[in-house]
Amino acid sequence: MADFNVNLRGVGSVSVIDVNGYLDAHTAPELENVFNKLLIDKHYKVVVNFNDLKYISSAGLGVFMAYVETMRDNKGDIKFSNMKENVYNIFDLLGFPILYEFYKDEKEAVQKFSELS
Amino acid sequence: MINNSLKNITRAKGLENAIIVSILLFLFSLFFPQHDSFLLLLINEVLVFLVLYFILSYIKPLLGSKTDSPFTLVLNAGILAALVFSIISISDSLFGSLADKDANLNIIYSLFSIILIFIFIVAAIYILASFRELFFLRQKTDPGMYFNTMQVFFLLTFFSSLLLKIDPDFDYPYNSFFVVSIVLISLNSLRVAWIAFLVKKQKLYLLLISTILSILFGFNFGLLLSETNTVRQIIFSFSPGFYSVLNLTMIYGMIYFGVIFFTTLFHLPTAEAFDRKAQEASSLMDLTKLITQVFDFKELAETVTTITAKVCNSYSAWLVTKKEIEYTLNSVHHISYVDADKLTKMLLDSEESDLLNVQTFSYDTVSTELRNEMREFKMIAIAPLKLHGVINGFLFTARHKDVNFDEDEKKSLQAFADYATVALENAKLLAESIEKERLEKELDVARDIQRKILPNHVPYSKNFQAATLFVPAFEVGGDYYDFFELEGEKLGFIVADVSGKGISASFIMAEVKGIFESLSKLILNPRSLLVYVNEILKKSLDKKSFVTVIYGVIDKQSGELNFARAGHPPVLLCSDNKVKRLQPSGIGIGLDYSSGFVNSLKEMQIVLKNDDIVAFYSDGIPEAKNAKLEDFGYERLEKIILQNKNKNLDEITNILMHDLAIFSKDHWQHDDITLVLIKWNKKN
Repeated sequence: MADFNVNLRGVGSVSVIDVNGYLDAHTAPELENVFNKLLIDKHYKVVVNFNDLKYISSAGLGVFMAYVETMRDNKGDIKFSNMKENVYNIFDLLGFPILYEFYKDEKEAVQKFSELS
Repeated sequence: MINNSLKNITRAKGLENAIIVSILLFLFSLFFPQHDSFLLLLINEVLVFLVLYFILSYIKPLLGSKTDSPFTLVLNAGILAALVFSIISISDSLFGSLADKDANLNIIYSLFSIILIFIFIVAAIYILASFRELFFLRQKTDPGMYFNTMQVFFLLTFFSSLLLKIDPDFDYPYNSFFVVSIVLISLNSLRVAWIAFLVKKQKLYLLLISTILSILFGFNFGLLLSETNTVRQIIFSFSPGFYSVLNLTMIYGMIYFGVIFFTTLFHLPTAEAFDRKAQEASSLMDLTKLITQVFDFKELAETVTTITAKVCNSYSAWLVTKKEIEYTLNSVHHISYVDADKLTKMLLDSEESDLLNVQTFSYDTVSTELRNEMREFKMIAIAPLKLHGVINGFLFTARHKDVNFDEDEKKSLQAFADYATVALENAKLLAESIEKERLEKELDVARDIQRKILPNHVPYSKNFQAATLFVPAFEVGGDYYDFFELEGEKLGFIVADVSGKGISASFIMAEVKGIFESLSKLILNPRSLLVYVNEILKKSLDKKSFVTVIYGVIDKQSGELNFARAGHPPVLLCSDNKVKRLQPSGIGIGLDYSSGFVNSLKEMQIVLKNDDIVAFYSDGIPEAKNAKLEDFGYERLEKIILQNKNKNLDEITNILMHDLAIFSKDHWQHDDITLVLIKWNKKN
């Protein structure tokens, strides 16, 4: 079915996750694996770069909901960046912008972490 | 046919016949201790022959069942040869004094000699029958003719010995038959294929036994040959025929065990390799059987490690499987889980990149850190579990000896690794098919729940029309809509979408229905109701799940519509020839349980005019996809409503359904589709 790729890289103390393709119930476990790895490594500052994401389903949204609490409890966060309009609309409809920070640019999101600490 | 039935009779009555003829012979010998006339001699010989024949036909089937263990046959023959030997030696000294033939002792003497003869007859026949079984053992072609020819010459020798009795000088026929018999014995003795199939230990044992037995038979032959030996005299005078057969038997034993000795000797150097090959073949056969029968991978893994250690001549073996980046130790043989785990990690960390074939590691090539860990092991071999170029795990084997694994051992190791791969794949496929079946059953249940939860009628009022459209997705998307009759001529309605799919979504759906069913009557304000619902669902929604809801209350008299939206797609209002999206703020239920939800949630109030249409729907409509994975989108939905606003509501739903079907005909419907339309139409 639809392709999905996820890539993890570090930018300073911040972990950046690049998501690519279609994030749905079938591909969500791949993203969950990355988050699990971050928890094991105690990396709580996360920026998700949506530049190459084409579609997200409710199961994809659920992944962020499942991990954001732990990140915030450990003085970290999950921030979103580079979102295409159609993807942003899905987040917006659900009210994510009230609970999560969205940035146009990945740099901006990474910087936001360093400003705080 | 006749021949066969005859055979059966002689076999079934073999013992009886043997006993009857033996008694006859016994009595005959008692009455005629010396048979001087040719007739008596001939009768005696025929009787002896019949005894031999019937005992042989009785013993043959008895030995036939022992062909699986040639060793037993050899040992039995050996014991009898030893018995013959001891009897000959003892009786010589015992009867030596009696040889003077005191007249009083004559009867006792002949009685003893007859018993002696019988013992010898049984022993000789048993030994011959054993040789016959050994002869036929492991023969691919039927060599029966050779053995039968030999038997015929035994027979000829038997009867030609009669001539000796008559005229000792006329020994030409006897001698030639005797010599031919020996030649045939020598030829038949070469059929010893069964030796190859013995394991090394048995071969060593056989080497020892054949030496002893060859010598023993030789001694027996020698003793029987010496004219002064009492036993020889007794037997010869009793029946020259039997004497010749007994001689031939001893010669047969001597030659046969001599041949066995040399054959075994030559087989010995290759014995180990042969053993290993045989073991490998039988192990592979066992494994093949196991693979088709055992679906428990763990059980199979244990067999694989045990056999691997054995066949690869190593002490320990263990099997790890790899999933993503995780290694799981499946089974260990002669090594602790902890040690196997440590060694696995160390070896794989350094070498995994080029572990596409069997690799061996000797004590010297490993890092010093590893050396401490593998004090015990001098040599380790690793084979990958490869399937379609993907490595699913590794099979390890380790030995204490500082001897490298040879090519055969490496091949065996890879063969076992391949078997493990197949078994692993089988187990996986089985689990998948079980899972698939389970999911299908689960979906049936979920669809059933959904069908029972959804209302089966559309509310009716003189002031408005209502219509609904619901198309379930194959996987049950979690859509829910409902209507609630409220006090004061009001109607509550809900359109909701539970995140996730299948049975878990349908359970939440059922819970949502229960909550709205009861609370809608108590809390008339849509916003307050949603705040309450968010609190209640906190307990049953897991972190990843959420519910989007539009809940509204419409006043059937005034057309006043009051609604709140929790993360759900906007309400569409078609009024004055245009469509507006009504999207009061509000985040989905389950996203936030603190002030965020309450603060964001806003309520909206509109008053419907005649011919206004309001549309509530799930994201299954705007997010329906075509082959290019483009969305159906809001605009198409709005356009359909606008263009058909004067038509009957049911017609509008039909048109939408039709357009949706055309749009996404090449793409599978992955979410439920729900639409609720209300058209205000107050008469006066």
